[in-house]
Amino acid sequence: MTRFVESTITFPYKRSLGPVTGAFMTALADKRILGVRNGTDVLVPPMEWDPATGAELAADLVEVGPAGTVESWTWVPEPTEQHPLDRPFAFAFIRLDGAANPLLHALDAGSPAAVSAGMRVAPRWREERIGHITDIACFVPGVRSEVDGTDVGGPGQPVELMDYTAAITYSTPVLAMADHALAATREHRLIGLRCPTCDRVYVGGDRPYCPVDALELGADAEVELPNAGTITNFIVVEPVQYPGQTVTEQFARVFVLLDGTDVVLTYQPVIDLPVGDIHVGVRVSAVWAPRDTPVDTFSGIGRPMGSLLGWTPSGESDVHDPDLVNRIY
Amino acid sequence: MTTGLTTTTARTSTDIAVIGWAQAAISRRTDQTETQMLMTSITDALTPLGLTRSDVDFTCLGSCDYITGQAFSFVANLDAIGAWPPKRDSHVEMDGAWALYEAWLRLHEGDIEIAVVTGSGRTSTGDPSLIYPMEMDPYVLAPLGADLVTFAALQARAVISAGLADEKAMAEVAVRSRGKGSVEELLAGEYVREPLRRHDLPPITDGAVAMVLATGERARQLVERPAYITGFDHRTECHNPAFRRLDDSPSTRIAAREAGLGTGAPIEVAELQASFTHEELLLRHVLELGDEVAVNPSGGALRANPIMATGLARIGYAADHVFAGGTRALAHATSGPCLQQNLICVLEGRS
Repeated sequence: MTRFVESTITFPYKRSLGPVTGAFMTALADKRILGVRNGTDVLVPPMEWDPATGAELAADLVEVGPAGTVESWTWVPEPTEQHPLDRPFAFAFIRLDGAANPLLHALDAGSPAAVSAGMRVAPRWREERIGHITDIACFVPGVRSEVDGTDVGGPGQPVELMDYTAAITYSTPVLAMADHALAATREHRLIGLRCPTCDRVYVGGDRPYCPVDALELGADAEVELPNAGTITNFIVVEPVQYPGQTVTEQFARVFVLLDGTDVVLTYQPVIDLPVGDIHVGVRVSAVWAPRDTPVDTFSGIGRPMGSLLGWTPSGESDVHDPDLVNRIY
Repeated sequence: MTTGLTTTTARTSTDIAVIGWAQAAISRRTDQTETQMLMTSITDALTPLGLTRSDVDFTCLGSCDYITGQAFSFVANLDAIGAWPPKRDSHVEMDGAWALYEAWLRLHEGDIEIAVVTGSGRTSTGDPSLIYPMEMDPYVLAPLGADLVTFAALQARAVISAGLADEKAMAEVAVRSRGKGSVEELLAGEYVREPLRRHDLPPITDGAVAMVLATGERARQLVERPAYITGFDHRTECHNPAFRRLDDSPSTRIAAREAGLGTGAPIEVAELQASFTHEELLLRHVLELGDEVAVNPSGGALRANPIMATGLARIGYAADHVFAGGTRALAHATSGPCLQQNLICVLEGRS
């Protein structure tokens, strides 16, 4: 059975809204809905450009709605976590009074039998608004807009940015060779793979391919790799405090050419080697976690591979070879 | 709507032909990586032609990091193309049909003869119902979780209102495409998003498609009957479906005209990337395809929908019609909600 690894990637975006969308969002916080004039039409939400021709529009903003008419709709029987309502609702194209095109939003109508094209609807505003499309919690049947609780108001200043968090969970297959190479590190062994066509050797793991011959390499290609090598190149990282970054101190990643092979391990951690002492040609040997400690089974660039924690100076004399620095793969 | 533009390259004088293609791992959920799927599909496309990767002058890969969940995922996919000595290579964050378009443009330069294009994706890696809303307008649609199936349902309503479809005709498309079930059975099902039922939606599919292109003489040396690309164009519309007429597809109409539809020999087979049943009925109408045209004999996107490769597969199946002795076939690929962007490729055989 193939093992699948689950991971969630989260991107917390801050989006600039610009003069037109910014005005639209600022007005929402004030329980007003703006469109933009395009000839005799009013487009909602307001656009900076005519969607049909791409011509720039003068930012001639005009209030529409807040009531409108359902032009079309579909029923959402099982809302997802991303939807505005946690109970079944309609997504509807709502033509706000005065607008030339419909606005998509949620309609809280109880059941599909209560929804029809032509019905009149109005916004239900959130009690506290931030200048965001979800300041309209949803639309409700009728022509009177309402506030979902006590009206707390908005930020009281122009809205220029909006937060949007994209989070996706992925389930990715782990190749048998990746798990095999990981298991070998528990025995303090490094697996290599020799291409039967070109004889080049690659490190075993999650890319068990000869990229030159476009071949997948299996167990019959396996060779043992040495636990010692030479630093060919390195980078010193100044941690940027992005969301999720836990490292605060400067650190290094090195490239290690394994003895007697063409294999270069990339982006390796170093142990007991201060950043200031790292240079091309340092002889290093592998540092392994004790055999009975649990290991991180998630491999990724710059992370320990299984029980291989990193590389430490072996105490041998430096290698002096002007070509070493070019060996980064 | 921009309708006055013409392209000088849409109808081409340089012979460029599809000469072979292959698919790999087309299934609901594969345990193969994209690289593995590409390795297999590229090998399977080249081998019957007597070609190896070293014969390939240019590659263009279509895939999507968003779907894969890995930045620069296409770099790992290069392991499948044998890029040493270094190759001319490109990538599109689009269906492989657009990779084909770029390769077709590149072959027009005339200095190279053979190109390989691919489309690959693993839809099963994530949950499409949660991923697709993130491709919508980031200010007013994505924050509502406005999903692809919701927009498809709204377009289906528009197509039905315009008299171009009804739920029965949509079920008939599903039965014909999948070769199973009956209209009565299907219409008894619950709505997923009224008026769409389960059968109106595409399956979730993993897979990869690889295709080989060659220029004039080389194509004729390699295969008996190349599928010449005689027209190729793609057009896009506004990103927000609320600003579009959903009972029409002007971008498809313009692309088809520029690709030569309406002139020359009749179209015998049309492979349309209609992921939802009503899209086939709308596209048939816009392309003015009569009953004499065989639409989606492959089963179309309703039978297999490998993301980033479904459009390229349409071109492959259209080429198959020419390989088998046909004269003229049309392939359509699409991208974005409610047929936002549309590509038309016309393929012809010569006697």
